Amino acid sequence: MARADDAPSIEGDAEERRLIDRSAAGDQEAFRQLVIRHHRLVINVAFRALGELSLAEDVAQEVFLKVYKALPGYRHEKPFKHWLHRVAANAVTDALRRRRPIVSLDAMEQPPASRESDPMDVATRHDLQKAVRQAIASLPSHYRDTIALQAFGELSYEEIAKTLDVPLGTVMSRLNGAKRLLRERLGDLVHGEEANTA
Amino acid sequence: MLSHATARDWLIPYADGMLAADERRRIDGHITGCRACAAELREVRELNLLLVTLPPAPASSVAPFWLRLQAVLPQRRTLRIPTFIGYRRVGLAFAVASVAVLSAAASAFAAPSALPDNPLYSVKLFEEDVHLALTPVNDRLTVQLQLAGERLREAQAMAANHKPRLAESSLRAYTIIVDDAAVSLKSRATPQATKDALHSLRAKLGAVEHENATRDDDVAAVKQLVAAAVDELDRIEQQESATAPTLTVGEQAAPDPTPVVTPKPTPRATPTDDGDHHEHHG
Repeated sequence: MARADDAPSIEGDAEERRLIDRSAAGDQEAFRQLVIRHHRLVINVAFRALGELSLAEDVAQEVFLKVYKALPGYRHEKPFKHWLHRVAANAVTDALRRRRPIVSLDAMEQPPASRESDPMDVATRHDLQKAVRQAIASLPSHYRDTIALQAFGELSYEEIAKTLDVPLGTVMSRLNGAKRLLRERLGDLVHGEEANTA
Repeated sequence: MLSHATARDWLIPYADGMLAADERRRIDGHITGCRACAAELREVRELNLLLVTLPPAPASSVAPFWLRLQAVLPQRRTLRIPTFIGYRRVGLAFAVASVAVLSAAASAFAAPSALPDNPLYSVKLFEEDVHLALTPVNDRLTVQLQLAGERLREAQAMAANHKPRLAESSLRAYTIIVDDAAVSLKSRATPQATKDALHSLRAKLGAVEHENATRDDDVAAVKQLVAAAVDELDRIEQQESATAPTLTVGEQAAPDPTPVVTPKPTPRATPTDDGDHHEHHG
């Protein structure tokens, strides 16, 4: 799931480092450049988690605000992107938990993809997505944070290990646990195929 | 032979493509004869399908997002001075006049040598900002170099006082000043003056590093910032020597009215940073 275009060049690293240092010292223009670079990543993570663009933008704003405040303490030992992913994953899982009890109809308001003609399919798919998000929100925190990086951040096992600063085996174990619980909680939604093929 | 329990444990990494080829073969072999694991694998794959089909966000513009974000960003002090034109100049004059009394009073107490751990340090910084803003463009480089030297003096003192965070803060402020001054430094008409300035800054950076290294709490972050600052000075010096005119001091008081174009290569080993950064939309 790791995307090749995410690999930064050496020059890109140096430039990003400069932007980070300047942002840490209060240069908002430098921070604007950082936001431009990573806006899409954070919005995508938040949107996959929440399913609404306006909510995703609110959470993305929260993420960048936290990052800006924390930048003076940031050390370059860890790639900025990993750190950003972690902050974003924490923010979206917090947001998911905050709105979990609310049965929102807003999530149904996503613009349907043009290739889908059957409104029932669209509604069913959005129901499924909503159920998945709510099930993830209900997980214990160490499972939730790990699966959020995979499902919302589209990170590979190795990237999750680096982002959370834990061994690869721990990631495997947490994803195992998280997906077992998700299967239990999603119940029939993940048994459909079996029922159909049985 | 793979046990049923082990096979079950491996189904999720198997479905995620995380197993090595020989491990995959062992799971394949087990699944062939185990209906329970085959059914569980189908469920795992279906769950994965649900997880990966969460859609990415529709296109959204970063400009309004930034404006909303900027409105809530806390103000941190920065030495970046905007170009003063039109109303900004009037606004600045008004602001300066408004705080003149306060500033004058505070100046009496804020010694120019106040360090970052001094309560009056912020007054000193404010005075520096105003001073720099009011300095004519031609003299700005001189003031910037003075301020850069002052940040390094502070960093050295903070490192000596076991206050590495404050030392880092001063080093970052130094970086911004030098960054802003880099263009002027590279295009300075008197290369020797630039060399002297760079030499002086290098010596001060060395003093900060020495102070940091002699403390028990030798801080890696301070070391990194100093190393990055030295690299930046090297870059400025290289580019300055590559583009500097070959003037002899005292030879030429005024520009030659009929300059002779000398075909001279202008080597550029690396592309210069003109501030127009590429956008990366992760």
